[in-house]
Amino acid sequence: MAIADKVFSGDTFKVGYRFQRHWDNSMAYAFFCAEAGAGLFFVSMLLGSVPGMIIGLIPVATGKPYFHLSHMGVPARSWRAALRPDRSWISRGLLGLSALIGFGGLLVLCLMFGSQFGVEANSAAITILKLLAGGFALMTMTYQGFAMSHSSAIAIWNSAVLPLSSFIYSLAAGVTIARLVVSSAESATLVDAQLLLLLSVGIMHLMLLHAAWHGTPGARTSTELLLQTNYAKWFWGLTVAAGIVLPALLVWVAPTSMVASIVACAGMLVGFMAWRILIFKIGLYEPILSMNPFNPMQ
Amino acid sequence: MARMGMVFDLKACIGCNACVIGCKQENSLPDGVFFTKTLSEEYGVYPAANRVYIPTICNQCEDAPCEKVCPTGATYTREDGIVMVDDAKCIGCSTCAVACPYDMRTQMEAESFLNGLFGDGELTPFEEQGYGRYTPGTVHKCDFCSQRVDVGLDPACVVTCPTNARIFGDLDDPESAPAKMIVERKGRPPLPEKNTKPKVFYVN
Repeated sequence: MAIADKVFSGDTFKVGYRFQRHWDNSMAYAFFCAEAGAGLFFVSMLLGSVPGMIIGLIPVATGKPYFHLSHMGVPARSWRAALRPDRSWISRGLLGLSALIGFGGLLVLCLMFGSQFGVEANSAAITILKLLAGGFALMTMTYQGFAMSHSSAIAIWNSAVLPLSSFIYSLAAGVTIARLVVSSAESATLVDAQLLLLLSVGIMHLMLLHAAWHGTPGARTSTELLLQTNYAKWFWGLTVAAGIVLPALLVWVAPTSMVASIVACAGMLVGFMAWRILIFKIGLYEPILSMNPFNPMQ
Repeated sequence: MARMGMVFDLKACIGCNACVIGCKQENSLPDGVFFTKTLSEEYGVYPAANRVYIPTICNQCEDAPCEKVCPTGATYTREDGIVMVDDAKCIGCSTCAVACPYDMRTQMEAESFLNGLFGDGELTPFEEQGYGRYTPGTVHKCDFCSQRVDVGLDPACVVTCPTNARIFGDLDDPESAPAKMIVERKGRPPLPEKNTKPKVFYVN
């Protein structure tokens, strides 16, 4: 059945596919802030760049909580979200994020002012802080993918690729932004990593869409929405062209140019943000009677 | 212990939506919020065209995905199998809503309590006393009118239905009306492939 013949019932009293509308753009912005920020923090920590770590922590500590609270129905009770780490990825994510902000902030402070108090950069305390902050950064880079893939309701989200998608996108964003923040010598070492990660992002999209196309009717319909309707121009234009192809070309052709790096970074982040919004927009609930959704009385 | 469930008779449902109105009244639901819907679908080609009505409701799943993902424990299952929402614990994160394959969760937007069912911006005394049970921003759903079940009554949608298209009872009691109907008319749950083990079945 072609996409034009499928029934999208919206919020009406009709049988058909229903768009996911509960997680809106504010959730997409929150996810973006956490993944881009944690990715930059992680890469900067590996490179030993304190400015990069600080810039990475800013969206994690400000944008992510702000957009989550603006989405939440009863923000005054938000502390309750940490109560069920045994079963909810939201709880695990909140605890991991809080730990990243805490240990990451402490690590930055120790690296900046530790020598005044006898804490040297190569001390055991710093190593432990790096392990903790790095571990929770990895968790923050990945958990949102788990939170989405855990939902069997939205077929295209119910994929093992999504946690991988979160991690690779986060790392790619981290490396891309880090190239602007760290020294030119360190930046040069990141060129190959950036190209490899952009290629990985492309392959990951291919994997996700291929699996969805050959998956359930809901997953296939979501893929059709992304590739054949108004969403297609945003996907191909922003996510693929501006977010993957353009940065890869610029990094490949002009690896030492600062202007090229800035344009590549802007394009990559725009593509990343577009993908975060699109994956929420194309989420669908399947028709209620899947055994014969378009002729239930037969 | 009982395992409360419901059967929808698709042949009996005439799409009058009396159940929807009964539910809204019993649960004091604001404008635009429905805990049950009677969906319609046309099929076939003239002169053999026809329409079928498909009632929908929270399926009170035994393996409820909404309960599993709730970060606060606001969603829980009673001993009789009814999946409940504790309004005082809900933070309105909507994680349950994206986890429910049946799209049966509704966020009680603060704005929906302001207009009134007549849309003139004024609340009737009925609305004023009814809306107090919900905290604006929380996410709610059908609980089989648990306040009625607790005193031995059927849910409001069941008693309102003029054609007995909704049959409610204990699925663990082989002599109960819904249990018999599921066996005799081969009741099928919605979206069985989601493996949520619904306690709502459809027969035709």
